[in-house]
Amino acid sequence: MTVSTARPAATREPAGADNRLVVGGVAVSWRDLPELSLPEPAAVLAHSARAALAAARHHAVHGTELLLGTPGRVDPVMRAELRAAGFIVTALGDHGTRPDEGVAADRDDPAAGGDPDGGGPAGGGSGSGGSRPAEPGRLWLLTSGSTGRPKRVGHTLDSLTTVRGAQPERTWLCPYAPGSYAWWQVVTLSLTQPGQHLVVVEPDELDEWPVLAAAHGVDAVSGTPTFWRRTLYRDAAALARVPLRQLTLGGEPVDQAILDQLRELFPAARISWIYASSEVGASIVVHDGRAGFPVDWLDRDVPGRPTLSVRGDELVITSPYHGMGLDGPVRTGDRVRVVDDRVLITGRLDSDEINVGGSKVSAGLVRDVLTAHPRLAWARVTGRRAPLLGRMVVAEVVPAPDAAEPPDEAALVRWCADRLPDHAVPRRIRVLTEIPVKETLKSDV
Amino acid sequence: MEELSRAQIRDLMAQVLRNQGRALPDDDAAQLREIGFRSLDFSELALRVEDETGEELNFDAPGLRRIATVGDVLDFLVELQRQ
Repeated sequence: MTVSTARPAATREPAGADNRLVVGGVAVSWRDLPELSLPEPAAVLAHSARAALAAARHHAVHGTELLLGTPGRVDPVMRAELRAAGFIVTALGDHGTRPDEGVAADRDDPAAGGDPDGGGPAGGGSGSGGSRPAEPGRLWLLTSGSTGRPKRVGHTLDSLTTVRGAQPERTWLCPYAPGSYAWWQVVTLSLTQPGQHLVVVEPDELDEWPVLAAAHGVDAVSGTPTFWRRTLYRDAAALARVPLRQLTLGGEPVDQAILDQLRELFPAARISWIYASSEVGASIVVHDGRAGFPVDWLDRDVPGRPTLSVRGDELVITSPYHGMGLDGPVRTGDRVRVVDDRVLITGRLDSDEINVGGSKVSAGLVRDVLTAHPRLAWARVTGRRAPLLGRMVVAEVVPAPDAAEPPDEAALVRWCADRLPDHAVPRRIRVLTEIPVKETLKSDV
Repeated sequence: MEELSRAQIRDLMAQVLRNQGRALPDDDAAQLREIGFRSLDFSELALRVEDETGEELNFDAPGLRRIATVGDVLDFLVELQRQ
């Protein structure tokens, strides 16, 4: 289905149009990406990184109402929901890069009965749109799903753009799934700021990204703590060869151990962690190399900046970068603990707290104790149903790759017992051979 | 999976205590209070039995009786596997 939304009067290339993009190992610029014809409002399921970037640029130029995702993240139920919400669900593959054939967008999933709003063949310009008028400039995100079933959050390119000051020239790695909040953060940076280049990693290249990054001069990388742990675990030497000047962590709780490991490898780089979500935007940015943020950042009222508060155990944020309908204080669902002069974000409220015989345990704090063990690369801590106590703390761990001998369960129990109250010590610790990861690059959800 | 024998459960119980830096006496009449076997340790032992057998233990089935000695723990878990 290809209903052209080209509106010549409105077309304007974004400021970063000449930035370098490396996709599939080939260097192009935003300007070189194929011109698409998209229906409106469009829910685009991008089958490749290149197609996703072309859709993002299309939005930046034309303001087409757009929800961008990958086929894997949008299941049939979600597709039906999107259609019911007036979207034209459109699959977009690499054939979009062949404008000569005029095929820019396909009808979605004919096996499922096709799109009732289906238009004519490519270039046919049937003029049919969604079942409602499009909202120019609107961008929709699907939340990562760590809060339950993915839901739509309305943004604009402007509300997604949180880096506005002039930045030093950088070549960023983009390891994220197209359409996620983290993906848009890197993409808007490159679209809106000259000198911010992108090297895109396809999911099947993810494990070898340091080789790709070194080959293409990547000097800035943003990833989840799980992404960084997996990279250190697989090949720390290859990572050390990437000339990184900026390392960014976000999307999951960031513990001191991972910050210290990265600092050891990159003593001169800036290492930052960011708290951001599709609901409240990028709200906390910390550059001092420590986990958590200073306690005196709480309840500060600075115009144009998010206000951070704690209610009970929950982080509450009032942000100027919020999604549509989310102005005012937003309960983040993330659990915080104040330890000395820092506010630590330990995990999701609904999964972080484990009640062991009436004593409350933060899974995140136990996890931090385990990941601080020099011979462990990764840990996940959960509650398990147990007699007498209701629940017990249990853990899964992955030994560090260079550990001559992985620590045994008893040694890890003792390590924890030296640092935690009795009821918080994980009693069953299972050793995994590989760090688990999801498409969102998170593992602890 | 087959259920564990009393001796196998005893081995697991010894392991629970060993992880705490303590030893399990040979005498089944040894008092749990004296060897420092607490509810956390009992719960851990139950999880170990579950992991070995691949079956969840149903603690709701029998009324909890007085468990004061090593032998009480072993008897209880042997019986619980059959519920």
